[in-house]
Amino acid sequence: MKKLLPTLFGLLSGGALFAIMALTFFDVAGRKLLDNSIPGSLEVTELLMVVVIFAALPLVSLRGEHVLFDSLDGYLSPHMLRIQKAVIHLIVAAALLALGALMWNTGSQFLQTGETTAQLKLLKAPFIYGMAVLCGITGIIHLVLMVKPPRDLAEGEGAAL
Amino acid sequence: MTAALLGFAVIFALALLRIPLAFAMGGVGIVGMGLTRGWDPAFASTAQVVYETGFAYTLSVIPLFILMGNFVARAGLAKELFEAAFAFIGHFRGGLAHATVVACAGFGAICGSSIATAATMGKVAYPSMKKLGYSDSLSMGVIAAGGTLGIMIPPSTIMVIYGIITETNIGKLFAAGVIPGLLSALLMMVGITWITARDPAHAPAGERSTWPQRWQALRGIWGVLLLVIVVLGGIYGGIFTATEGAGFGAAGAFLFALARRRLTWAILSEVLIESARTTAMLFTLLIAATLFANFVNFTSMPNDLKNLITQSGMSPTMIIVAMMGVYVVLGTVMEELTMVLLTIPLFFPIVTALGFDPVWFGVLIVMVVQIGLISPPVGMNMFVLNALLPGVGLGAIYRGCWPFVFVLVVMLALLVAFPQLSLWLPSLMK
Repeated sequence: MKKLLPTLFGLLSGGALFAIMALTFFDVAGRKLLDNSIPGSLEVTELLMVVVIFAALPLVSLRGEHVLFDSLDGYLSPHMLRIQKAVIHLIVAAALLALGALMWNTGSQFLQTGETTAQLKLLKAPFIYGMAVLCGITGIIHLVLMVKPPRDLAEGEGAAL
Repeated sequence: MTAALLGFAVIFALALLRIPLAFAMGGVGIVGMGLTRGWDPAFASTAQVVYETGFAYTLSVIPLFILMGNFVARAGLAKELFEAAFAFIGHFRGGLAHATVVACAGFGAICGSSIATAATMGKVAYPSMKKLGYSDSLSMGVIAAGGTLGIMIPPSTIMVIYGIITETNIGKLFAAGVIPGLLSALLMMVGITWITARDPAHAPAGERSTWPQRWQALRGIWGVLLLVIVVLGGIYGGIFTATEGAGFGAAGAFLFALARRRLTWAILSEVLIESARTTAMLFTLLIAATLFANFVNFTSMPNDLKNLITQSGMSPTMIIVAMMGVYVVLGTVMEELTMVLLTIPLFFPIVTALGFDPVWFGVLIVMVVQIGLISPPVGMNMFVLNALLPGVGLGAIYRGCWPFVFVLVVMLALLVAFPQLSLWLPSLMK
C-alpha cells in the first residue's frame, strides 16, 4: 500500500504527460507538414491534463511540496512546530475533502446532462468524478500526514521557478 | 475595498501560520465570495474554476515546457554548453565566470526555470572554477545570478504563469524577454570584469583554446541550437502557438536525451513524474489565484485603487518605480512565486489603467523575480546552490550574490526607463 499508491499515481500522471507530449508533437507535425491533424487531439489533451494534474496531486502532498512560508519555523520549539503542522494538515485535509465532495456533485450534474466532448463525444463526467476521488484521496493523505509527517525537502526540491 | 483588503490581510496571516499558499488563497477567495455574494454562487463558481482550469488545452503549455527543461537538464547538455563557451572566452581574466554566464544564457534558451539552470550549471561550472582557484564567493555569485537568466530568456515558467493569470499573449512575452535576457547577461559580464579587475585573486585566467578546439566544442551544442531555433523561432515566427511549440520542444528534448543515451526507464519515469508533480503544484496555485482574483474583482477594490492613484497626482512612471521598489524589498524575504501571485491581482489593474503595456510589465515582473531569487537572505537560487555544494557555505554565497543583485537592479532601472528594450521585438510579431 505504501509503495503501491505512489507508483500508481506516478504511472497515471507521468504516462498522461508523456501522452500529451506525443500527441501534441504528432498533431502539430501532421498539421504543419502533412496537412493532416489528429482528430480530437485537442480534447484528448484536455482530458489528459486532468489526469496529469489530479493524479500528481497526492504525490505533491505526500512529499510536502506545496509552496508555503516556513521562514518562521526556527522561532518555534520542535514540539510546537509538530502540533502546528498537524493542525495545518487537518485544515488542508478538510478543505480537500470538501472540494472532493463539491466536485463529486459537479460530476453527477455532468452525468445527468450527459455532457460530452465536442468531437469524440467522450463523456466528461468520469473525469470529473476522477478529480473528486483524487482530491478526496489527497485529503486522506493529509490526515495520515498529521501523524506521520513527510521528510524534510532538500532545498529547491519541487520548486517551479 | 475593505473586504478585499481584509482578504489580503487574512492570506498573509494564514501564510505566516504556515498554511500552504494555495489553500490560504483559495480559502479566502471562496469564503470572501460566500460572504459577499452568497454561498451557492461561491461554491458553483469554485467548481467551475476547478473544472475549467483542469480541462484547458492552452494550459498544457505549462507541463510541456517544464518537461522540456527537465529532459534537457538530464541530457547532459550543460557540460557541452559550458565547454563551448569556455573555448571562446576562457582565456580572459575571469574567463570561467564569463563562460558560465554565457552557458547559463544558452541553457536558459531551452529551460524555463531559474533554479534548474543554477543547479545544472552549478554541477558543471563550480568544479572547474574550484580547480582553477576561483574564490567561492565569485563562483557562487556567478552561478546563482547566471541561473536567473533561465527565466528571462524564453521559455520561462514565470512568464507563462503571468501570461495565464493576466491573459497576456505568451508568445509576445517570450519575445519581450530576449533582449532583456541578453542584456542582463552582458551586464553580468561587465560586473565580473569589474570584480576581477578590482581583485584579480578572485579569478585567474584559463588557457587559450585553439580554433580547431573551438570548432570541436561548437559541434557539441548544435542540438541545443536546433531545438532553440525550431521552438522559439517557430513561436516567434507565428508557425506555432506557445502550446504547440512547447509540445514540439518537449518531444525534441526527449528524442535528444534518447539519442545521447541518457535515458533509462528509471530516469524517464523520474523526469515525467517530477514534471507532473511540479505541474500539479502550480495548478493548485493557479486555481487558488483565480478563486481569489474572482473575489477581489467582485469587490470595489480595483476601481477604488484606480481612483486613488489617479487622484494622488503621482506620475505613472513614479507609480511603476514605487511598485518595483516594493518588489525588490519583498523579494529579499519572500518566496518569489508567492510574491507574484499575491500582488498581481492588486497591481495589474492599476498598470493597465495607467495605460502601460502588460507585456512590458510582465518583463519587469520577471526581472524582480530574478532579483528576488538572488537577494539575501531568502532566495531560492542561493539555497539550491547551498544544498548542492555543501562545502561552500551560505556566507560566501551571500557575499558573491550582492554585486549581481546590484547589476540586476541596474538592469531593472534600464527596463523601466526604456520600455522599447522589452517591446521592440514583440512589436515585430504578427
